[in-house]
Amino acid sequence: MDKFRTLFQHFQSSSESVMNGICLLLAMVTVKLYSSFNFNCPCLARYNALYGLGLLFTPPIALFLCGLLANRQSMVMVEEWRRPGGHRRKDPGIIRYLCSSVLQRALAAPLIWILLALLDGKCFVCAFSSSVDPEKFLDFANMTPSQVQLFLAKVPCKEDELVRNSPARKAVSRYLRCLSQAIGWSLALLLIVLAFLARCLRPCFDQTIFLQRRYWSNYVDLEQKLFDETCCEHARDFAHRCVLHFFASMQSEMRARGLRRDSAGRGPETPERPEPPEGLDGGSGKAHLRAISSQEQVDHLLSTWYSSKPPLDLTASSGLWGCGLSHRAPTVVPGTRASPHTDV
Amino acid sequence: MDKFRMIFQFLQSNQESFMNGICGIMALASAQMYSAFDFNCPCLPGYNAAYSAGILLAPPLVLFLLGLVMNNNVSMLAEEWKRPLGRRAKDPAVLRYMFCSMAQRALIAPVVWVAVTLLDGKCFLCAFCTTVPVSLLGNGSLVPGLPQPELARLLARVPCPEIYEGDWLLAREVAVRYLRCISQALGWSFVLLTTLLAFVVRSVRPCFTQAAFLKSKYWSHYIDIERKLFDETCTEHARAFAKVCIQQFFEAMNHDLELGHAHGALATGPTGSAAPAATEGADEEREKLRGITDQGTMNRLLTSWHECKPPLRLGQEEPLVGNGWAGGGPRPSRKEVATYFSKV
Repeated sequence: MDKFRTLFQHFQSSSESVMNGICLLLAMVTVKLYSSFNFNCPCLARYNALYGLGLLFTPPIALFLCGLLANRQSMVMVEEWRRPGGHRRKDPGIIRYLCSSVLQRALAAPLIWILLALLDGKCFVCAFSSSVDPEKFLDFANMTPSQVQLFLAKVPCKEDELVRNSPARKAVSRYLRCLSQAIGWSLALLLIVLAFLARCLRPCFDQTIFLQRRYWSNYVDLEQKLFDETCCEHARDFAHRCVLHFFASMQSEMRARGLRRDSAGRGPETPERPEPPEGLDGGSGKAHLRAISSQEQVDHLLSTWYSSKPPLDLTASSGLWGCGLSHRAPTVVPGTRASPHTDV
Repeated sequence: MDKFRMIFQFLQSNQESFMNGICGIMALASAQMYSAFDFNCPCLPGYNAAYSAGILLAPPLVLFLLGLVMNNNVSMLAEEWKRPLGRRAKDPAVLRYMFCSMAQRALIAPVVWVAVTLLDGKCFLCAFCTTVPVSLLGNGSLVPGLPQPELARLLARVPCPEIYEGDWLLAREVAVRYLRCISQALGWSFVLLTTLLAFVVRSVRPCFTQAAFLKSKYWSHYIDIERKLFDETCTEHARAFAKVCIQQFFEAMNHDLELGHAHGALATGPTGSAAPAATEGADEEREKLRGITDQGTMNRLLTSWHECKPPLRLGQEEPLVGNGWAGGGPRPSRKEVATYFSKV
């Protein structure tokens, strides 16, 4: 349990690590899925290719979509793509960066499935046994073409009566498996060479732009997460106030009814509880959430967040968003030089 | 569990120890992959050698490149190599050290694969079964009577027990034993050679340029740690930026609503007293921003991090936008003045 917790904490340390962890998990699930799947070639002339190729390509598509779904950044990317411009300019470079990062991670599990299937060979043998050229194998010399086709269709099924213990079947099966493994290893080599070149050569192109895009993509992701947390906090606060308000009003209503019904002998009760605001906000310091206290206001806040995100400039005072465009020249605002001595 | 955590933390402490861990895992994975891989000799004259050579060489190449790709130092090396000089000189010895250390670690998994392949013997058997000396091991007298292609076809099936038909020429077991014996001898020689080489390199290196080696090792670790800390600082900054941005958004909304709804005790009154509480939390976040509060300044910071890395000299506050000269002159010495007051 402790081991698990340490591993979990390590992967939680940054959002990139979280995504890498999910990617790895999906890869392990793929391997397990492949090894536990019971491959079952139909051994019929037209269905073999359909089954074999279907099994080679359909699970990867499903795994790719799972990889996209499991990755939070894909939703962040789509939101960033579709939001209105508002006060904050949209940078297509950031969207491209997010897109490539999401795609790379989502492609890992499908590629692992395809490589496993090719290195194992069963899919390939099933799909292409009917398309083997009988001339290559001497054992087919004295069979009619239709017999040959029937035989070839049954090659993937070792236990079938027609092909059991037949050296011809073994030869064809061996040949196809060998081809499948060669294709599998070549694909693995190609992918790894591409990955290596991409990793090595990236710093040679536009390193500064890459650093900027990486920073702002990370920022967009964090901002989304923090906004969700702030909204949760606000909703909790809102609910708390609502409930207390309800209790207070119920209490005052009952008192009012009690005072009307009873005689005046009761006298002044304990003083009315002070208005909810002080009790609720005493120690929390969430003053900026107070005024947003109705459904319409919350809806207005959320739709403003979507339709016009605030500009990326914290020195602009609130309400002056008309001039808070983020593409102005960087030397406009004095006192924001990147030096460590601004706040003394 | 404590032990596990300690090991985990130790391995994480810097990129080199992390890579040592990854190396060990990949070596084990390499051996596991070999045993899980179903070697499938085609048993056809032209294809045997190609298949075996492929299996002997392609996976080691894949493993080597994978070892390099998984090492973050690859992109660090490329970045360090391609960055503009700025105010920090580049030391080719550091780059060489990084490259050597990466390559050494990445070579372990391929060496394990080759060693395991040779010691197992199937690959060697498949490749060289057609070149077995029949005259030495079997019925050499029958050889001249056979045409060469027929002989090759017969011998090519030696690795496949179920389709081998040449027992009258050469007992299969004899050929298999012979080739496996040679393969294992080669395998052990390979293992001995690589360990000897590693030992010699390791023990002889301190005799040459130990001082320069220590220097390169230090600065290589420094660059790695600096990059990691920069990324962490950027993430922290992005988080603070997002928090302040969202707080300001809520405050602005709050402010707008308070202006809009001029009535209500909720909006007036406690606002003034609660405002300082809100800004306390905001101040803490603003400190983390270190004065960088808008997109343009952040972009400039990231650009100058790449194009003009700061000099490796602490304790001197030089403005970032300098004239590119790394050697700062000595500071003017401060004059100390002692003043006497005479009470005459």
